[in-house]
Amino acid sequence: MEYSIETHDLTKKFALQKGFTEFLMHPFRKDEITAVEKVNIRIGKGELFGILGPNGAGKTTLIKLLCTLILPTEGIAYVNGYNIAEDSGDVRESIGFITTDERSFYWRLTGRQNLKFFASLHNFYSYDAQKKVDELLNIVGLKNRADDRFLSYSTGMKQRMAIARGLLNNPEVVFMDEPTKGLDPRTAQNLRGFVKERIVKEQGKTVFLSTHHLGEAEQLCDRIAIIDEGEIRVIGSPEELKSTLDKTNPTLDDVFLHYTGKEFKEEGTPKQPYLGRRRMMHGGHGRLGGMMH
Amino acid sequence: MSLEIHKKAFSFIIRDLVLQTSYKFEFFLRLFFMFFSILTFYFIAKLIGGAGVHYLEPYGGDYFSFVLIGIAFSGYLTTALRGFSESIRGEQMMGTLEAMLVTPTNTSTIITLSSLWSFIFTSFRVLIYLLIGAFLLGVDMSNANLVAAMVILILTIICFSSIGIISASFIMILKRGDPINMLFMSTSELFGGVLFPITVLPGWLQNVSHILPITYSLSGMRHALLQGYSLHALAPDITALAVFTVVLVPLGLLAFKYAVKKAKVDGTIVQY
Repeated sequence: MEYSIETHDLTKKFALQKGFTEFLMHPFRKDEITAVEKVNIRIGKGELFGILGPNGAGKTTLIKLLCTLILPTEGIAYVNGYNIAEDSGDVRESIGFITTDERSFYWRLTGRQNLKFFASLHNFYSYDAQKKVDELLNIVGLKNRADDRFLSYSTGMKQRMAIARGLLNNPEVVFMDEPTKGLDPRTAQNLRGFVKERIVKEQGKTVFLSTHHLGEAEQLCDRIAIIDEGEIRVIGSPEELKSTLDKTNPTLDDVFLHYTGKEFKEEGTPKQPYLGRRRMMHGGHGRLGGMMH
Repeated sequence: MSLEIHKKAFSFIIRDLVLQTSYKFEFFLRLFFMFFSILTFYFIAKLIGGAGVHYLEPYGGDYFSFVLIGIAFSGYLTTALRGFSESIRGEQMMGTLEAMLVTPTNTSTIITLSSLWSFIFTSFRVLIYLLIGAFLLGVDMSNANLVAAMVILILTIICFSSIGIISASFIMILKRGDPINMLFMSTSELFGGVLFPITVLPGWLQNVSHILPITYSLSGMRHALLQGYSLHALAPDITALAVFTVVLVPLGLLAFKYAVKKAKVDGTIVQY
């Protein structure tokens, strides 16, 4: 079977920034933290795959690795058959990246000007860019506001602009990093519907979505991977994951607790503190996923 | 399919033009305050009068003409040293760098084109300086050899840009505290012949001037614009700039390639 995304022992370690005293005491010692550890996943074409984990679990680092924004320390990954380390240009040509960071747009440009600029980075000629931008503005329902400055948009509109930008190059794989973060429940629900119906079902794209929202993962995803401290704990469809528990009417909360030993708070912060045991100093290899934020 | 570079360049220019003109007041203030620095040197030149004419003789003998070319064209060095690193830092701080880096356009193209507007604005400023100097303040450029000036200008921009790209490489890794910027900014004004001819300096200090590209750039530009030197007469300056260019261009590209790779390994490419 051909996979859209395939990783083999994908690992990312970051060098720890030393304090002044630490630097003086041990100038040559290399302290590292592991953000993503030996991740092995295979995602089929047209699949909506969710990666679920609390803040700092390694979700964003994993997405940045797959989008070629950072290089892996060990292991290998293929996106649309391209090696993320060696064929990064081909990878970027075939993916869309939808970030929730509203600062990733030029606020003093209009929505249309923003999209046209990013279209040129995707190698669109002016006429084609104009056509594509109009088409996408129509799809995300922003055609009437296209010539207003980005700064005048609501959070939901900014999010829809991010989706339009992520689809500019008609990518085969779309990465979404916490797409409903900061949205009100109704807008978030609309966005989920859009992702599932328009992007996956209608357009047949593969979506790799990170979330720390259990309900979102359950509602949207064909399969979910639970990630914690940089490691994938379990992968399966929501029903498969629940069926692994010896419990009546289990929830994804129960699944998360079972596989990570932690309760999951909806806003993504585990109820029990865990940073202390993840961080191993003195040359050890602690883990601190998501330090890229 | 890869969009031709000039079409991408046009997109960056349009983007920056719209952004710049969206801050209308700042745009006009920048133009307005240009006059102040020109007038300051005009009156200093008036005060100096014929003093120092011995040093200025190779450039026509007039201090204002000398310094006008100096401050106008040294702007390219400032732009090159700051333009690339500031464009990286600006995009990092705005949060737009990451969105650009996930497109098929490679990082060096993005950084180079991001600083294009700064060079255009600098060229516009140089033109205003020269027009004011020539038409309002009596600078004589009637003999100017424009072809020779253009050759010097092209070499100057390529050479300074290479230094700017090396500087940007440091910014990519260190985020702040770029030694190249500090080194060239602090030495060029003193040793590069921006405000006074390098022959004013003691002989041993002139040796420092001779290892700075700005020395040859300003010397060539003054000779071309004020005295109409031919390309042949400008050969020493052109050769020196060409040598700097041949050395600095590959060095800049290598340094930037290394910096991008290191930032990707460290995961710090979009941090500031």
